[in-house]
Amino acid sequence: MSLISLAGVGRSFDTVAGRVVALAGVDLEVDAGDLAVLLGPSGSGKTTLLNLIGALDQPTEGRIEVGGRDLTTASRRELFAYRRETVSFVFQTFNLFPGLTALENVRFGADVAGRPDAAEEAHAMLERVGLADRASHFPAQLSGGEQQRVAIARALATGNRVVLADEPTGELDYRTGIGILELLAEQSADGRRAVLIVTHNREIARMADRVVELQGGRVVRDGAPDGGAVPVASLRW
Amino acid sequence: MAGAGLWVRWSLRDLRKRWLQVAVIALVAGLGSGAYTGLGSASTWRRAAYDNGYAALAAHDAKVSLTANADVDAATLASVPGRLAHPGWVDGATVQLVVPTQVDASIDGRTILVPGRVVGVAFDGPAPAVDRFDLRSGAALSPSGRDGVLDVHFARHHGLPAAGDLRLGGNRSLRYTGLVLQPDYFLIMNDLGGFLAEAGYAVAFTNLEAAQELAGKPGRANQLVVRWAAGVDPGAAHDELAAAFAAAFPDQASTVADRPDERASRVLYDDIEGDQKFFNVFAFLIMAGAAFAAFNLASRVVEAQRREIGIGMALGVPPPRIAIRPLLVGLEVALAGVAFGVAVGVVVGRLVVGVFSDFFPMPAWATPFQGGAFARGAAIGVVLVFVATVYPVVRAVRVEPIDAIKVGLRETKPSGWAGLVQRLPLPGGSLGQMPVRNALRNPRRSLLTALGISAAIATLVGVLGTLDSFTATIDRGEREILATSPDRMLVTIDGFERRGGAATTAVQAVPGVAHADEGLRVVGRVAPLGPGEVADVGAVGTDGFDVVIDLLDMADAMWRPSLVAGSYPGDRPALVLSEKAATDMGVVAGGTVRLRHPRREGLGYRWTVSEVLVSGIHPNPYRYAVFMDLRHASLMNLDGIVNFLQVTPVPGTDRDAVVWGLFHLDGIASVVPVSTITANVRQTVGRVTDVLDIVQGVVLVLAVLIAFNSSSISADERARENATMFAFGVPVGRVLAMGVVESALIGLAATVLGVGLGRVVLAWIVHGVLPGTMPDLLVVTSVRGVTYLLAAALGIVAVAAAPVLTSRRLRRMPIADTLRIVE
Ligand SMILES: Nc1ncnc2c1ncn2[C@@H]1O[C@H](COP(=O)(O)OP(=O)(O)O)[C@@H](O)[C@H]1O
Ligand SMILES: [Mg+2]
Repeated sequence: MSLISLAGVGRSFDTVAGRVVALAGVDLEVDAGDLAVLLGPSGSGKTTLLNLIGALDQPTEGRIEVGGRDLTTASRRELFAYRRETVSFVFQTFNLFPGLTALENVRFGADVAGRPDAAEEAHAMLERVGLADRASHFPAQLSGGEQQRVAIARALATGNRVVLADEPTGELDYRTGIGILELLAEQSADGRRAVLIVTHNREIARMADRVVELQGGRVVRDGAPDGGAVPVASLRW
Repeated sequence: MAGAGLWVRWSLRDLRKRWLQVAVIALVAGLGSGAYTGLGSASTWRRAAYDNGYAALAAHDAKVSLTANADVDAATLASVPGRLAHPGWVDGATVQLVVPTQVDASIDGRTILVPGRVVGVAFDGPAPAVDRFDLRSGAALSPSGRDGVLDVHFARHHGLPAAGDLRLGGNRSLRYTGLVLQPDYFLIMNDLGGFLAEAGYAVAFTNLEAAQELAGKPGRANQLVVRWAAGVDPGAAHDELAAAFAAAFPDQASTVADRPDERASRVLYDDIEGDQKFFNVFAFLIMAGAAFAAFNLASRVVEAQRREIGIGMALGVPPPRIAIRPLLVGLEVALAGVAFGVAVGVVVGRLVVGVFSDFFPMPAWATPFQGGAFARGAAIGVVLVFVATVYPVVRAVRVEPIDAIKVGLRETKPSGWAGLVQRLPLPGGSLGQMPVRNALRNPRRSLLTALGISAAIATLVGVLGTLDSFTATIDRGEREILATSPDRMLVTIDGFERRGGAATTAVQAVPGVAHADEGLRVVGRVAPLGPGEVADVGAVGTDGFDVVIDLLDMADAMWRPSLVAGSYPGDRPALVLSEKAATDMGVVAGGTVRLRHPRREGLGYRWTVSEVLVSGIHPNPYRYAVFMDLRHASLMNLDGIVNFLQVTPVPGTDRDAVVWGLFHLDGIASVVPVSTITANVRQTVGRVTDVLDIVQGVVLVLAVLIAFNSSSISADERARENATMFAFGVPVGRVLAMGVVESALIGLAATVLGVGLGRVVLAWIVHGVLPGTMPDLLVVTSVRGVTYLLAAALGIVAVAAAPVLTSRRLRRMPIADTLRIVE
């Protein structure tokens, strides 16, 4: 069975202006070791889908199972545990804790997942994203790219099997963006993790093994990118 | 450019978005201004109730009393007003006979045995001409017949019925038919001049003949109360009254007192001023708390609008224009505060008047709306809150637009000491450190929150510390009075007698009496003696103060005052003064003061002034307590004369039984165990604290509101961080716990600050306010451990618990929506 499995998932919002269907009839299977890109124009439902997989939101239709756990029937408490133990987020706007240093932010990820080796893990992760020398800096003292690298280190320090990144390069320049994507791409390489990257940028999608394209809340395409995956370094946008 | 309407609409929208915090700040401001106006109005209402009470009962303007248990022919005394040079100045006069006596009002097995007096009053038709009665319950006093009425303070304190029987000293009894207020006894003071003495002092009233019969003094009287006609100069009338009395009774010493100078009346009115000073301190502190809270909210509103301010500036909107919106928010909060303030003011005013009308019963209490006080409170409230918003707004519109637009820059560019504290190495994991980091993240803001709460705590410490200090003062007095002989009782003899006279012999014969030491008690007045000054009559009076002089056998008595300086009197007549008296007069042991005292001449007494040595200082906190050696009674020409006894029971005997035995003796005016004197003071002080309880309640609400508000503001600001934590699966309880720890840290700082500030407030009350309002008492500053505990409980526990109030909001937070907000 797949690590992530969605069947007939739909999500609609009731607003004063009427019902907004953000997602409809989404079927999706993602396995450990996959690097998948969710591609689609703004408003196509990418974030909504990612939020559902991350259990920040509940579908109005269909079923979602991650790591054998049914998110649609799980209790609130189970969902919190799921977020601690199974998924990790990388946000477009980083969402680092401004009161914690870079190292402490990373350490947060390890602490929250209950890792006994949190301190060492945090150091190792920060080193891996190349920021060992900025360990004691606060987020406000880091550039956008550095902040995003800290955010990735925080997500990875949890050791969780599903990494969800929503437009992780959205606020960054090209060169920095490439670095971030390379870092994320590496994470699925060991075959233990699944990495889902959301983007509206078709060029970025070329790095993935698999591109899931959304339009108007529906999956319009699911498969390898045209011409197969290319190294991140060769992307141009 | 947009018109004014847009800015107002926009600011109202800001207000609506934060309606809860705005409501809380408004409530806090309302508590401040409401406490001020409510407490301020109460003063006006009290003054009116007293004025009206004195007027309604035709209270005397002047009172002639005889010295030391003397009495004169009632008819002659009644003729004195007619002998004034201007008899027309007298509107009315009433002759009275004051009979000191022991009163046994025991009921339902409760022993109520107190000193007191029966006051016989001459009637002029259906009521006395001066000092009439306000009947509170039961039946009124009749001009004839032998029944009496009882003062309501005493009856109420002991829960006595509206009619009943009193046993008086010397096997006499008096039936009373009703409970009354009489203007001479609006405030009950005992023979020692201690006020708030109602628990231990009974006053009953009869017609003059009944009192003469009780006292066995037919046709006699000893007091004359006079009311002046409208427009008469009381000073001139006073002099004519004194002259007329002297002409009628050339050998009789007397005192003529004007009511405003009488202690009871003075204390009543001075108390208003004193209380108001008190209240102003507390109201000011509450307002300060409100101002800090408003400042805090304004700063945060401005911070939240920072980007919009930057965009506005980038679009070329002039800064004053941009400032309008946040300033309007401040103004709107201030106005809402005034609305709350009126409501709070009415409630506080009612509560305070409730306490006072209960404590000082008056014929009528009216509580008309005090427009002036309310307008003042409202103005102060608006100005404080508004000014608190100006500073952060001005600061915000001064920055360069580019800095305002930049995201995150404002958030912690660690610099200066803020940067230092942020880098403090801390133990524990990232989650454990987070609350400390957050509290230190914006030290200025944390400090402001702490300051607001500390104002509340300072108020609490000030209020409770004042009470503690009173308690400590009473304790100190009690230690001194009980000292070596805690079982002893003070037995007052009816009139004077020779040493070893009948009363003394009778007392010594009562079963259970171990010792009886004789003493002489006289009242007098002391004043400092300036350098090179010569003692002369009349000079004492303006700058001195009243004292009660106990002349004891210093060498042998079972009890004598202890000394904190100097020595007991030697061969020369000398005084042992209280510390307060010595300080007030600027003398030390070995110095000299002027003493005005009675001196026996022929059949009467005259006031005379002597220059007397101060040999020692005693620690009793009551200023009026002065002691001399019985050997020096010659100063008063009273050698060998006594009027009271200190009596100790045989160890192991039932003290009540001894009291009863003494009570039934002839010629004994009162029997009071010294321990009940202090017990009564303690009880009565306990009732004064009711008003402070109201202040305390306001303060508690205030502190919790301020804490809640800053928690609620934090919850708003931390929404994204909290959502991020939830996204990582940190449970709501854990997030709340971090909030609690952070609040507790701020609460701890607030408590430390507040306690320090509270001590300053207390010191000011004790050294700056009380000497003026309670000149007779040396209040020692003292704060009990319980008070600190309470402050800590409020400052740390209540403040720490505030985030829990936001738990619903956290639990219901739409995580995805909160995270999707792109800055
Ligand atoms: N809480 C919400 N209420 C109403 N509509 C929403 C909400 N969240 C998302 N939507 C709508 O769902 C659609 C998909 O949104 P989203 O998943 O954020 O798109 P994307 O991330 O692909 O840009 C949009 O039309 C958006 O307006
Ligand atoms: Mg999106």
